[in-house]
Amino acid sequence: MTEILQQLVDGLGRGSEYALIGLGIALIFGVMHLVNFAQGDLITVSGYVTYALLTAGWSWWAVIPLIVLSATLTSVVIEFVAFRRVRGASDTTMLLTSFGVHFVITALFVMFVSPNVRTFDRPGWITNTVTIGSVRLEVFDLATLGVTIVTLAATAFLVRRTMFGISLRAAAEDFAAARLMGVRSDRVIQGAFALAGLLAGIASVFILMRSGRTSPNFGETPMLKGILAALIGGLGSLGGAVIGGFALGLLEVFLIARLPDELAGLTNGVVFLLIALLFIFRPGGIVSVRHAERV
Amino acid sequence: MSEPSELTAVRRYLAPVGGSTALFVALVAGCSIYAAGGGSSRDSLVTQLLINAVVVVGIQIYMGNTGVLSFGHVGFGGVAAYVFALFAISPERKATIIPDAPFGLTDAGTGPVVAVLIAIAICIVVAVIVGLGLVRSGAQSGAVAATVITLALLFVVHEVAVNWTELTGGDRAGLSFSVGETLGSLWPVYLVLFASIVAGRVFSESRVGRSARASREDDLAARAMGINPAVPQMAALVLSVVIVAAGSSLRVYELGTVTPKFFFLDYTLLTLTMLIVGGRKGVTGALLGVVVITAGNELTRYLAGPDVNIAGLDWLLRDGLSEIFLGGAMLGFMILRPSGLLDDWELDRWWFDRWRRRREHAPPPPVPAPTAAPASLRAEGVTVRFGGFTALRDASVAATNDTVLGLIGPNGAGKTTLLNVITGLVEPAEGAVTLDGAPVTGLPSHQLARRGLVRTFQNLRLFSSLTVRDNIAVAAEVGARYRADRARPSVEELLVLARLWDQRDRRARELDYGNSRRLELARAAAVGPVFLLLDEPTSGMSESESQAMIEQVRATAAAVGAGIVVIDHDLGFIVGICQQIVCLDQGAVIATGTAAEIQADPAVRAAYLGSRAPV
Repeated sequence: MTEILQQLVDGLGRGSEYALIGLGIALIFGVMHLVNFAQGDLITVSGYVTYALLTAGWSWWAVIPLIVLSATLTSVVIEFVAFRRVRGASDTTMLLTSFGVHFVITALFVMFVSPNVRTFDRPGWITNTVTIGSVRLEVFDLATLGVTIVTLAATAFLVRRTMFGISLRAAAEDFAAARLMGVRSDRVIQGAFALAGLLAGIASVFILMRSGRTSPNFGETPMLKGILAALIGGLGSLGGAVIGGFALGLLEVFLIARLPDELAGLTNGVVFLLIALLFIFRPGGIVSVRHAERV
Repeated sequence: MSEPSELTAVRRYLAPVGGSTALFVALVAGCSIYAAGGGSSRDSLVTQLLINAVVVVGIQIYMGNTGVLSFGHVGFGGVAAYVFALFAISPERKATIIPDAPFGLTDAGTGPVVAVLIAIAICIVVAVIVGLGLVRSGAQSGAVAATVITLALLFVVHEVAVNWTELTGGDRAGLSFSVGETLGSLWPVYLVLFASIVAGRVFSESRVGRSARASREDDLAARAMGINPAVPQMAALVLSVVIVAAGSSLRVYELGTVTPKFFFLDYTLLTLTMLIVGGRKGVTGALLGVVVITAGNELTRYLAGPDVNIAGLDWLLRDGLSEIFLGGAMLGFMILRPSGLLDDWELDRWWFDRWRRRREHAPPPPVPAPTAAPASLRAEGVTVRFGGFTALRDASVAATNDTVLGLIGPNGAGKTTLLNVITGLVEPAEGAVTLDGAPVTGLPSHQLARRGLVRTFQNLRLFSSLTVRDNIAVAAEVGARYRADRARPSVEELLVLARLWDQRDRRARELDYGNSRRLELARAAAVGPVFLLLDEPTSGMSESESQAMIEQVRATAAAVGAGIVVIDHDLGFIVGICQQIVCLDQGAVIATGTAAEIQADPAVRAAYLGSRAPV
């Protein structure tokens, strides 16, 4: 029981990161049908910002807002430089564009920083634990989960209650119709990228604190997890992406705990296999948002 | 016959094989000239280029013909690479690198030829499993779920290769050949490359390949013409994986070693960029892409290397430049020219089209088919619900092939839904559809089309990047295979009938609206239908155009001896063409009869025109 509770919190903590990145990916997919393979690079970029500032002697608390800011800015810049130019192109074209963006960003860090890993000090408190009853929980997991819940609640409010959010949802439903109703497409798309960047930035804070390192392709793993989260939830469904992220986090933690030792290295492989099976039997994801095509 | 047989042989085999030979000779000659100018580094570059060409042509066969974006082919390549290495590396060598390999593989030594065959066989098994999954997931052009499945394959293969160290040698060491065991001569590469190019071209022009391309353009329309996209997709996948497996084995044999990262994201980026830059819809494009990207890559590597020192530019000329080049090339082409340098241009197709154009003449329009055996189509008591909304309520219609049945009714009356039920796109909650008394309810679209229920669409669904002629030919091939007993005019006759003869080698997307409508009609007729089901053939047409459409529809149906069921809003058209009219309103049949009876029916007038309006 105790063990399961610990794993639950651990899984939700991990899942928080995936949920935040996945939500950003779902937002962008909603407004422009782009599966963004460059979403993880926001984490890479903010990772180098963190490295630079911490090395220069800044404290973690001062760095945190800059992590979020740099991820948000990067997201908006990528939209402006690349994705704006393929708007309305086929899904394949857009997907490959983001694939290209990812590799260019990776290569830029290889060229101008170093192909090697850069490490920095993790904040001291992240290994602290608290004991509630017989359950020992990591403060870091609880903090991640708490901040994520607040962020998701704020996002839900933004999307449901504000004019921007309504435009966003309208655009996700039917982009052309939303434009005709006076929704300004540039604004909505930029807004979606900024929001997705912000969410990735918050996830990035936790990812960087946990890992204490960055490298040119550091964002690849979180990006894949985020895409999987969004896909599990049924691409385009915002709630689905969040559920997908948590589900993925829990799945991983339980697999790591249950797999025999010699197979532990295969956790990611098993996750991918399970997800491939999910898509084979439920191509629309858990929360299916497929629209019937009119013929 | 859908096309004269001597032309079929030329188009399907002679021209593609000839074109492939020309491509192969040009590529090998170019490489030889380049290699002759330099030492062993050029030799190895050329070898790698030719091997990459095999892999890229392999990927092209799947991605180009089906339109499904695959990140997984390099994963298949990884499987092949390891299987090949496990069998081809000598037992003495394996005793030192993987002494504890499972299945007694440490002692297996088969030599490279048998090892390639084993690698191909295992890859075929994996491809069939993955392919079934892809089909199940609804793979079609642009489908994200399918792309994710292929990506999952790439990662699973990588993870297994990294972790199953007793078998794969792990992340660092991998599997390596002893010195002198590796690829010594270029002949195997030449042989495999030539076979790959020929396979790619012949497949693309084959019946199966053409159905794959039709499904790539429009999955739903392909189904409605009697094509089951799963079959050509599976065929394309297996063929492409065989070639990728052979190419990947050669790659390992040439490099002398394999580690997990050889067949992961970097190689995926490289091969995909080659394919996309050249043009993923064609073999010629794929090969051009290989050459262009290899050259660019070499150039950037040289610039970034120690031999070049340009003052002021050393910030640019350093490690990472060739990755920027690759990513940038992919990005740039996606933004500026997403179809690649050559799009789907093929040397032999270009030559063959010109050659055929010169020697063919427009045939006379087809004569009406002999009176067909009586046929009947019934939908009885059909009810369809979409969630809480009842689109059709106990609707019954009956059509025979000697009259023209019209379905009318206001927007939302359920006309298209009824047609969708009859053609298998929507499954009814209740009710049955019978063709000549045999129940056909719930059969998939392609099977209904093969039984002779062929439709057109309200919002035009042509195979837009195929030529006008190929649009009809794809359907005619289905007809030749499944409806051989029917009178079917030739593709050329249908082109003349649809007044599209002069446009026959243009792409369907270049046609104007009226021509597109007539092409869709001719394409449906080419299957050899018992019933032609037309969904608003005159929508968006002027009055004179829709009057002309009456003749067009009549002549087309007569040429294939088909009955007609037609939906339209244009009452002039409906009254002009139909002997029987069924009027639907809010999902229910409210009247059935001749044009005069319908026009006099008060319920129809109420539904259609408002209760007191005069007709």
